[in-house]
Amino acid sequence: MITGVAGQDGAYLSALLLDKGYEVFGCDLSIGPRACWRLSYLGVYDKIDLLQADMADADALLKAVERSRPHEIYNLAAQSAPGASFQSPVEYGNITGLGFARLLEAVLKTDKQARIYQASTIEIFGYGKIKRLAADMPFHPVNPYAVAKLYAHWLGQMYREDFGLFICNGIMFNHESPLRSLNFVTRKITNAAARIKLGLEGELRLGNTDSKRDWGYAPEYVDAAWRMLQQAKPDDYIISTGQWHSVKEFVIKAFKVAGLDWQRYVKTDPDLLRPVDVPFAIGDYNKTRQVLGWQPCVKFDKLVEIMVNEDLARWQRHLKGETFPWDAISDA
Amino acid sequence: MIKKALITGISGQDGSYLAEFLLSKGYVVHGIIRRASSFHTTRLDHIKFGSDEMKERLFLHYGDMTDSSNLNRVLEKVQPDEIYNLAAQSHVQISFEVPEYSAEVDALGVLRLLDAIRETRVKARFYQASSSELFGKVSESRQSERTPFYPRSPYAAAKLFGYWTVVNYREAYGLFACNGILFNHESPRRGENFITRKITLGIAQILAGKQDFITMGNMEARRDWGYAPEYVELMWKMLQAERPVDCVVGTGEQHSVREFTEAAFAYAGLDWRKYVKTDPRYLRPTEVDELCADPARANKELGWQPQVKFAELVRIMLDADIRALNLKPAGEGDALLRKLFPNRWWKID
Repeated sequence: MITGVAGQDGAYLSALLLDKGYEVFGCDLSIGPRACWRLSYLGVYDKIDLLQADMADADALLKAVERSRPHEIYNLAAQSAPGASFQSPVEYGNITGLGFARLLEAVLKTDKQARIYQASTIEIFGYGKIKRLAADMPFHPVNPYAVAKLYAHWLGQMYREDFGLFICNGIMFNHESPLRSLNFVTRKITNAAARIKLGLEGELRLGNTDSKRDWGYAPEYVDAAWRMLQQAKPDDYIISTGQWHSVKEFVIKAFKVAGLDWQRYVKTDPDLLRPVDVPFAIGDYNKTRQVLGWQPCVKFDKLVEIMVNEDLARWQRHLKGETFPWDAISDA
Repeated sequence: MIKKALITGISGQDGSYLAEFLLSKGYVVHGIIRRASSFHTTRLDHIKFGSDEMKERLFLHYGDMTDSSNLNRVLEKVQPDEIYNLAAQSHVQISFEVPEYSAEVDALGVLRLLDAIRETRVKARFYQASSSELFGKVSESRQSERTPFYPRSPYAAAKLFGYWTVVNYREAYGLFACNGILFNHESPRRGENFITRKITLGIAQILAGKQDFITMGNMEARRDWGYAPEYVELMWKMLQAERPVDCVVGTGEQHSVREFTEAAFAYAGLDWRKYVKTDPRYLRPTEVDELCADPARANKELGWQPQVKFAELVRIMLDADIRALNLKPAGEGDALLRKLFPNRWWKID
């Protein structure tokens, strides 16, 4: 069972699990074709059992778990844009934090053997005083999203220790793809580069371009999540590429791939700055490599190429009059 | 200038002492209480129905930490200078039964209130009731502000959410918001299902012939117990400081439930073994074995030194519970109060 199945990770994970022969149940707040465009894009919309469930609704979650009787549960559901969390902090806390509490209680009531993956995040560590992030770094969440995720992270650990549930916290660094939402800076950039290239747009406005991140490729990251639940014992793992780049570098590379001079089209917009931005940390995924046999193949350069080329292809198809599942057009 | 304070959880132990303390300092005190089918503000009755003029400066509003629009409205209406967020589902063991509700109040409630401060632009200083339970499975024998957290219950996880939300709002918006990480603090007004009060009330009932024994859970759990009136004074001090700082508050001494039991029964002149039973239903899925404060920052930076420690606390609580049943207490607790607090501001136990 996957919560947040309509999101980027949910879609890739659905495809991965179906490929491995799983029966997949997916929950999300909205499960219609528009909301689930990613599932259609990957050709799996009709192949999974979709259940409507709001993470704010304990009863719905219980019913979803009872209905699907899962061996594995992937809790990907969240309000997941850290910068936006300052605008609706209570909703973030309720869905991203308390949602997991409700899910855990549902599991306790139904089947304590179910293995649970919790989408934890580097954001819970906030200020990386040390450059290499190992899993025993001190916590310091700097936005309401991170506070909610930290609460969920501790719930996962506590229910593992208190009740013996098999729970893994996947501490993921940023992971992107052509299915990433448009309000995340990577996709915002690649989509804009494609539109500018095709003459559909004149400029791109960004916030803090000095912001640095460790960006990986989502399909590889959900594979790591699956591997965690196959181990003999539950544990927490860091998933990253170990490299970091700035937003500015992403812009430069993306526009280069699109064959454009970024300096002509990119402006900074002070309204897009966050009250507190997360200084970067570098992820150390050694344990993940050793124990799960996982490592990232797609890193920064390849990631940018994949995303820009995909967005260019989509806009080209659109201009030819094709309709297909996609988020950049409101009536796709 | 007359200062206004808003206290959530005003009907609880800390809320009622804090209200009395602030009223004695000339504040106008507003409190939020929930609507329930029976009145539960008995800890405030002596103020509300007393003869002192301070009752004219006490105002209660209906509200709930789960209701954002209500919190916003109260803030707009009251425009407080200081806010003390004491409201919580505060029983650790019960949080295992109501984990989601505990988070709604203890986690999201904090967030709603802080966001309401931001929305209404009220220029208030904010105190958050954080808890030593955050330390949980302790990694150091005495816990200070630098000790890592390790929550062991839904209550502790929710309080952790609340703690970090305070830090986040302080750093992101420059709010004067701080966490008091208070270790256990007791009094005659303590809730009856907290072990110290359960014991002293139980002994009083036994002496009055109304009860035969007390049932408890893990007697080996060790805690740092202090006297609530001294702790609420510290809350106020934190909001008078120049800058907002998170602070650990405790006596620095640790005792077990067994020691409290033995000391209380001995003071009452009874053999505890005849009156105490244990029942596994009072055990917790995970116990926090020990908690002990390192209150150096509170001592040095805020000049706070608790006078009531373990031995005094036992006597104070037992005298009060015995007196409440119209029996004559041994009086050592009462004598201690007279000696240690000649200018005490709390009119009743």
